[in-house]
Amino acid sequence: MADVQVLSIVAPALPEKYSPPKASGSRLSPPHPAGHRALLPVGPAYLDHLRLTIHHKHSFASFDEHVAAERKRQAELHADAANGEDDLGVGDEEETEELLSLDPKEWKKQDHYAVLGLSQFRYKATPEQIKIANRKKVLKHHPDKKASTTTPSASQYLAGVNQNTNDDAFFKCIAKAHEVLTNSEKRRQFDSVDPEFMEAEENIPSETDIKKKNLDFFKTFTPVFELYSRFSRTQPVPGLGKIDSTKEEVEGFYDFWYNFDSWRSFEWLDKEVNEGSDSRDDKRYTEKKNKSERARRKKEDTAKLRGLVDLSLSLDPRIKRIKQEEKAAREAKKKGTTPGAPAKKTKAQEEEEKKKAEADAKAKEAAEAAERAEAKKAKAAAANAAKKARRQARATEEGGA
Amino acid sequence: MAPKAAPNGSAEAPIQVSSIPPVVGINFGNSYASIAVFTKEGLAECIANEDGERQIACAIAFHGEEMYIGNQAKHQLIKNSKNTITGFRNLIGKKFSEIPQSTLNISAPVIQHPDLADEPAYKVEVLQPAPSPLPISHHTSNVNTPAASNINTPRSEPIPATRVLSVSEVTTIFLQSLLQSAEDFLGKKVQGAVITIPTWFDTTQRAALAKAASDAGIPVLQLLEEAGAAAGTTTTPDWSSDADLPQDRTQLIIDVGASSVNLTLLSLRSGLSYVLASSTTPNLGGDLIDDRIIKHFATEFTKKTKVPLTVCPATDAADKRAEAKLRLAIEHTKRTVSASPGAATCSVESLKDGVDFTGSINRLRFDMVARPVYQSIVDAVSALLSGAAVDPHDVNEIVYVGGTASLPGLDEHICLTGGFHEDISTPFARGTVVGGGEGDPTTILARGSAAQAALVSSLGGEDVKELKAAVIGEGDANLVRATTKTVGALFPSSAAEDKELGGVFVPLIQKETALPVRRIIELAVAVPASSKFAFELWEVVEGFRTEKVKPPKLSDDEGDDDDDEEEIEVKHRTLTKGTFLGSVVLDAKLAQKGTTTVQIQAIVDIDGDLEVDTREKGEGGATNTLKVAAP
Repeated sequence: MADVQVLSIVAPALPEKYSPPKASGSRLSPPHPAGHRALLPVGPAYLDHLRLTIHHKHSFASFDEHVAAERKRQAELHADAANGEDDLGVGDEEETEELLSLDPKEWKKQDHYAVLGLSQFRYKATPEQIKIANRKKVLKHHPDKKASTTTPSASQYLAGVNQNTNDDAFFKCIAKAHEVLTNSEKRRQFDSVDPEFMEAEENIPSETDIKKKNLDFFKTFTPVFELYSRFSRTQPVPGLGKIDSTKEEVEGFYDFWYNFDSWRSFEWLDKEVNEGSDSRDDKRYTEKKNKSERARRKKEDTAKLRGLVDLSLSLDPRIKRIKQEEKAAREAKKKGTTPGAPAKKTKAQEEEEKKKAEADAKAKEAAEAAERAEAKKAKAAAANAAKKARRQARATEEGGA
Repeated sequence: MAPKAAPNGSAEAPIQVSSIPPVVGINFGNSYASIAVFTKEGLAECIANEDGERQIACAIAFHGEEMYIGNQAKHQLIKNSKNTITGFRNLIGKKFSEIPQSTLNISAPVIQHPDLADEPAYKVEVLQPAPSPLPISHHTSNVNTPAASNINTPRSEPIPATRVLSVSEVTTIFLQSLLQSAEDFLGKKVQGAVITIPTWFDTTQRAALAKAASDAGIPVLQLLEEAGAAAGTTTTPDWSSDADLPQDRTQLIIDVGASSVNLTLLSLRSGLSYVLASSTTPNLGGDLIDDRIIKHFATEFTKKTKVPLTVCPATDAADKRAEAKLRLAIEHTKRTVSASPGAATCSVESLKDGVDFTGSINRLRFDMVARPVYQSIVDAVSALLSGAAVDPHDVNEIVYVGGTASLPGLDEHICLTGGFHEDISTPFARGTVVGGGEGDPTTILARGSAAQAALVSSLGGEDVKELKAAVIGEGDANLVRATTKTVGALFPSSAAEDKELGGVFVPLIQKETALPVRRIIELAVAVPASSKFAFELWEVVEGFRTEKVKPPKLSDDEGDDDDDEEEIEVKHRTLTKGTFLGSVVLDAKLAQKGTTTVQIQAIVDIDGDLEVDTREKGEGGATNTLKVAAP
């Protein structure tokens, strides 16, 4: 539609005794003839006029249609642009008071994901998301911005309180968090001791807990293994599965977890080498201690995980089921009626099989006997040879003496 | 490490596809040129060349091996006037025999081209680099001579030579320098340009300019008449929203050039514009003001120093040089007068006989000196308006173009003595002249051209060819039919103040609107108890009624000499009913609190058929369609 000109006037109400004048049948005054006026070829309105006259045969309806179609096309073209930048779901996480009062000096203790507003992603955050989150936080907390937005109250100002002393503390925390999370090695170290993980690890129920409270096996252990699966070098990690998982699945699961290949390490918890001291010995001592501590922790971690897998295996209802199934299968085999086995075999077949088995057993026995005999012979020969050698040795010794 | 989640986008900053078209608008005047490009904000803006000049003098000077272009070349007019070329724009595409041999020439004279028949040209003396020395010959015997050096023999002194440049060559050189400035600013190649031309350029002149521009490597999109370029700026939404100007208005463009005054009366109808009347007054303009100011300063100089100095016209060589020096110096004085209300100084070192000159002039004095020129401009305006039978009160807006038009005194004089309405909108009244405002008369044309260049270069799609042809002036798509009378809706009323027409008149389609036209207005209508509303469709005649009013008494203690005071003529706009076209009576269905909102769409199609569509705004409102057949 063309532009609507909105007038601010209010037209007066119709008088009571109004009757429209009689239609006179008069017409408009004739317009200036063509060629009397020449449009200046300038401006968007001129182009619209040209389109109207050249392409739409002076029809406003057709022109409107064209404009609407064009607008729709443009809107489709720029649909992505209209939605603004894609932030990969980073969103805007509000900082808690606690977070804002972090001390950048204690950066090792801070939760870097929370600082960047990525607590919903944590170790799953992609480098792109980290980049976006950092950009957002930096924009929000840049000290240049704070200085202008927070004006000290008059009393504080008069008292000479410097308002800006701790202004860039959180900004420094952000910078540190970004530094840690963008460096893959540092991030690995931090992820190894991720505070959220540590907390979750604490809450894993112990064996006694499970037995006492009679907790559901799957509900208890599925999250536990999911928690640990982040440390696996091989991905994806097989899940605990369900009550009706097949034997292969269950075996594969326990196989995987007994041979768990973890990238978890504990450098993050290293004691800082005292920067002030130049003593090499000091440094070496600390390093040595750190190293042993790391090894100890790793060992503990591995043992803990193993203990967990053991516990899980011992409590797994599926293992009982599988054992029972196997037992049943064996028994059935013994009886010759494996559940679900094909229909009865004919006697001839059975006999044949029996014969075959007997023959097999005989052959096996014979082979075994032969083997045994051979082994005996070899043993005897070896003993003889040893005797001979000993004798010879003695003889030479004596001769030599 | 963390499992790779499939990213749902990219973290890379979106590629900045620059939406700024590398286009340039060139205002190519006879004395000054200016260039405008599109800035990051999507606005056309006038840019400065490498010398920092937004108004680039159309001058080329040759001195020795050097070539000066622009304001540098203008300074050569003092000592090196015979090698300085100015005023070539007006000669483009003209034959030598058509050019009047002006008696007063301060720059290189126009001569007949020695080789081309009837072609105007300039002859300048230059220093040509000496031909490079012959390469070392290896055939010479070197039996008894020392080994020849492999270094080229140093260049010998350049040799004096004369160079003949045709007008189109000069134009090409000049346009090239403008293009270079624009490309340096943009940092990329210019994809298209719109160049302004005066209205009086004929086809050969247009063709010659187009050729010169393409020789200079400028991809010309359109040659746009100066009035069009001005309309290009003044029809932008920014311009009209700034001052709450109506979409349909009559605009007077006053272009005060150095040597001529061009007046154009435009009818702007929601962006569409056509010329109602135009005039060109030669030998009127900035140069005349210059002459008067120079004379003023020369008299001051003689008064102060007792050194005789006669200028405008100057006879002997010393006076001529002094005049040239003053002419350059007052350029600065004029700009100061335009920009600030304080006194403007004019200083020339060694004006004559080694005596320096420093003088100052304030606005009042300046306007007094220049008043006769101002008056001639007003006379030209009055002549134009009376020739077009347009009352000065019908002009809604005045737009100034050109450096001389930046003088506030000129605007004051025109508004006071031109007989315009006191509320007429001018860039000065709106305060958009100084400080790079949009009403700056020195940049309007260049900005309008740049906007037009961006528009033309953005044309895409299937229908471009015909549009482009129409834009560059081929075919007769620009020739339109237009309405002659204003058509509007008359809402009947019994109120006393509406007695004249018997109601409130709302114009729908103004006179002088190109066909086909569509206007949609929306307004609130009071609805009486009968819940009926109605309007009549009338063609009206607009007129003026002059009334003689005694000015209100200023103070009582004057006593009884009231009779001496002159009566003031006050003009009132009047409307008289012309032809009755029809009436619309509807039952309001969506009235709220005694009013309802009504949209009236009026279309006059190419044949002159009028169709008025009335509907109450909202779902289920009353509607009506009234048709009036073509005459």
